[in-house]
Amino acid sequence: MIKIKDVSFSYEGNPKNALTNVTLEAARGDFLGIIGQSGAGKSTLTRVINGLVPHYYDGVFSGDAAVGGRATLESSPEELARSVGSLFQDIEGQLFASVVDDEVLFGLENFGVPRDEIESRVEYALAAAGISDLRTRAISTLSGGQKQKVAIAAITALKPEIMVLDEPTGELDPQSSRRVFETLRELNEKHGVTIVVVEQKIMMLCEFVSRLAVMNGGRLILEGPVASVLKNAEKLEDAGVNIPRVTTLALRLREHGLYDGEPPANIPEAARMMRTAVHASL
Amino acid sequence: MLRFDGVSFGYMSGSAINDVSFYVAPGEFVALLGENGAGKSTLCRLCNGLLKPSSGRVKVGGQDTRQVKTSVLSRSVGFLFQNPDRQICRNTVSDEIMFGLENVVASPDERRRRRDEVLGLFALDGDIDPFGMSRGERQQVALASVLATKPKLLILDEPTTGLDYRECLSTMEIVSRLNADGTTVLMVSHDMEVTADFAKRAIVLSGGRLIGDGPVREIMKNRRLLDEASLLPAQIPALAMFLSELGELGKPDKIGELFSDAFTVDDMVELTERANRAPETRQ
Repeated sequence: MIKIKDVSFSYEGNPKNALTNVTLEAARGDFLGIIGQSGAGKSTLTRVINGLVPHYYDGVFSGDAAVGGRATLESSPEELARSVGSLFQDIEGQLFASVVDDEVLFGLENFGVPRDEIESRVEYALAAAGISDLRTRAISTLSGGQKQKVAIAAITALKPEIMVLDEPTGELDPQSSRRVFETLRELNEKHGVTIVVVEQKIMMLCEFVSRLAVMNGGRLILEGPVASVLKNAEKLEDAGVNIPRVTTLALRLREHGLYDGEPPANIPEAARMMRTAVHASL
Repeated sequence: MLRFDGVSFGYMSGSAINDVSFYVAPGEFVALLGENGAGKSTLCRLCNGLLKPSSGRVKVGGQDTRQVKTSVLSRSVGFLFQNPDRQICRNTVSDEIMFGLENVVASPDERRRRRDEVLGLFALDGDIDPFGMSRGERQQVALASVLATKPKLLILDEPTTGLDYRECLSTMEIVSRLNADGTTVLMVSHDMEVTADFAKRAIVLSGGRLIGDGPVREIMKNRRLLDEASLLPAQIPALAMFLSELGELGKPDKIGELFSDAFTVDDMVELTERANRAPETRQ
């Protein structure tokens, strides 16, 4: 579904590579989380997937990127937008309608979705984002978190094959963040949408995604299933990544010879780990 | 240092803060928790006089915010907004820091001394244009400008949003050091790990009302309160709660009891080691 091969990119006016020789693949139905510190190249990587790099951002691009079978270099961002839904970091820059309803409608009309399908799509998208009650509200009266959900609903309505989200929960509280990720999980599991998401809230991310990609200084330094990536504590620390506390706990228990299994990805798994650890030396 | 006495405040769209009372003593580090829309940012703005209560009283350092000018209050209350771009208005980091100081410090020499001090503290280059920096870096510039004024009460509205882990840690370490030196801190944060690591006490808001106030360790283990406020605990207290609520057979057991007070990774490791040494906990 997404094939990035040996991609390097530097933004115009900045000789330093934002990406260096990045190779990454995601299959249909993957749920991939991208982590790393500020300036690691996470946003640039998402822009390679939706074609904004190099079509919209000028710079020096090398390598190959294909999305849904289309080479991004040979397709316009408009064509790519039909299969790739993007959510940017700057929500204010993405919303332009004055009322929630219109924001969701706009994309649908633009994509030529048949009239009789529009209403059900709007309802589905608003419900999926948990904002059915905000439908007639003026966007200017919404909180940052609510705006974020409107932007997600607007993309969800378009039913893209791939969704690329750059810090979609940036300004949301923990419960709202989880609701956003539960929405993404449903889109991923029930509708087969391939999801690529950049996120700083790593503990939550690890509970939802199936794979993790770790960026550091423009390079992809680790990629794979969540548990296998989390084992590399030192590399993650080098990359400035906040390791989930339950992972730190697993590593500490291992140092003390109290546990030798996989690091847990969530609280129930961590609870099983603690039971094993307490029984270990019995 | 900070006293809310039956404070209510409403916007045109309805009430945002409803009959809230609490007292923060000098030197405390208090987290203000609650979901989006609970009234946290409004409460912060009531602390520095940007908003005045519609009923009740807010006192900062003994001064009623309705009887003192906001500019006077700003000499003792430092305020970091959620979005650094609402705060930053000058073209170099150095000018930005000096701008805040002009209202607070009369002597130009002292202003320059304080500017250099915070530039060093945050390892910032004073000649750089803040608008070319990343959001995380701009947040640090905004915080540096606030800290240069040496506030007695520091209000932080989500100081770590948009920061990566390293920036988050370095910011919180600076705040923590100031707190250790006596600055009172009131911090809004959605990051429960940061809250667990740095704040001692938490005030919980829900729908504009104060529904919880106590040590962070206790608040994070109060399932009923957390649910009511739509909050999730930090991972280790969440794990301790999970273990104590459900045993292997679906009812509380000895392992749950063993870890019921664990709050940090260290606690968990130590309790596991102790359990493995002490035969009486074996089942």
